[in-house]
Amino acid sequence: MTTVSMTVNGRQVSADVEDRTLLVDYLRNAISLTGTHVGCDTSQCGACVVHVDGRAVKSCTMLAVQAAGSSVTTIEGLATGDELHPVQAAFREHHGLQCGFCTPGMIMTAVDMIRRHGGQLDEATVRHELEGNICRCTGYHNIVKAILDAAAKMQMPAAAE
Amino acid sequence: MFWQPTSLQEAVRLLADEGGILVAGGTDVFPALVDRPSPAGLIDLTRCAELKGIAIGADAIRIGAGSRWSEIARASLPRGLAALQAAAREVGSVQIQNSGTIGGNLCNASPAADGVPPLLALDAAIELVGPHGLRRLRVGDFVLGNRRTARAADEILSAVLIPRRLEAGGSAFLKLGARRYMVISIVMVAVTLVPGPDGRIADARVAVGAASAAAQRLGGLEARLIGTDPVGSAPADLVSAADVAGLSPIDDVRASAAYRLDAARELVGRAILQAWEAARA
Repeated sequence: MTTVSMTVNGRQVSADVEDRTLLVDYLRNAISLTGTHVGCDTSQCGACVVHVDGRAVKSCTMLAVQAAGSSVTTIEGLATGDELHPVQAAFREHHGLQCGFCTPGMIMTAVDMIRRHGGQLDEATVRHELEGNICRCTGYHNIVKAILDAAAKMQMPAAAE
Repeated sequence: MFWQPTSLQEAVRLLADEGGILVAGGTDVFPALVDRPSPAGLIDLTRCAELKGIAIGADAIRIGAGSRWSEIARASLPRGLAALQAAAREVGSVQIQNSGTIGGNLCNASPAADGVPPLLALDAAIELVGPHGLRRLRVGDFVLGNRRTARAADEILSAVLIPRRLEAGGSAFLKLGARRYMVISIVMVAVTLVPGPDGRIADARVAVGAASAAAQRLGGLEARLIGTDPVGSAPADLVSAADVAGLSPIDDVRASAAYRLDAARELVGRAILQAWEAARA
């Protein structure tokens, strides 16, 4: 067992886990943040996407010890109190989910995508960049709409300056 | 056990003393486990400072083996490296590009490794560091077959070196899969073309991946392209069936061998035209 410490959603956390614990299992089991999902365990589906030091990664592709000392953001870290993050709000408004299983990963990918492109997104780019996230309800259409809407809303304050 | 060395020297010592599996981005190691536990001994290379960074030297561009695909895709590099950067943007998906490294791609040595054809087309070499020192090999002499490389058990791949003499050329990378992304390639192609003062091809490198146990160059075609101007040719006219006859694709769930050969021929033709357009731009 190793004591693995990191910052998750701005909070310092620490837990004793086996070296071989994947980051996703650390998040879900050791610190009880079950918003990050495990879909395929083979780095294909994207349900487990989180941000590690600002990079969107699949948390089943990384050991918890590899993330030691890093700053991790999960789906639980997006909202401010009761106020949803703009991407979460857009997913709700556009019904960007059906069963909801892929949604945490979709949203974490979307937040990263919007940040990297500075909100300047078109449908082709969104669909391309969503390739690492699989929705088996085949709800992509509304997911894309939600991301485009969130991107537009998130760049508005900057545009108004 | 899990080790996280912070220097290459320490990593080499650990590998010699403890053995174990080297891991960087983990995008091959962890998915291959599915829900089985991780192997007992892992040496994580992601904190070795010497493996990071891309530096443009006098004769070669040095890409640290620990460079992630997204770092390679976003780096400011000479236009001749466009094929490598295009490949970087097509590895897995964004999240995989944010984790996976060029060194891991080479050492894992999948026949469908996206990094290998562009590196062959750029005449790249790799650097191996072991307890007995450092050696350099050309990529074609390093990747030997399906999951087989020239890396000795006690060596660590530290860097990829791309000679600068091809950097002014044009290059292209094309990949065919059942879907656009997140698929294992059916076939992929990289081409580098350098124009001469007469406006014709002075130097040509053509490499095909996923159509043999290890990606390979098409030497006969390269020789024939020298002194020609492919403008206006149809892709299929540039490449003959004989040019791709040396490939040995497999039949599998993704495609038949015959289809792979056809696809390789067409993609090579298209990549030649694309690289030539870039070379003359």
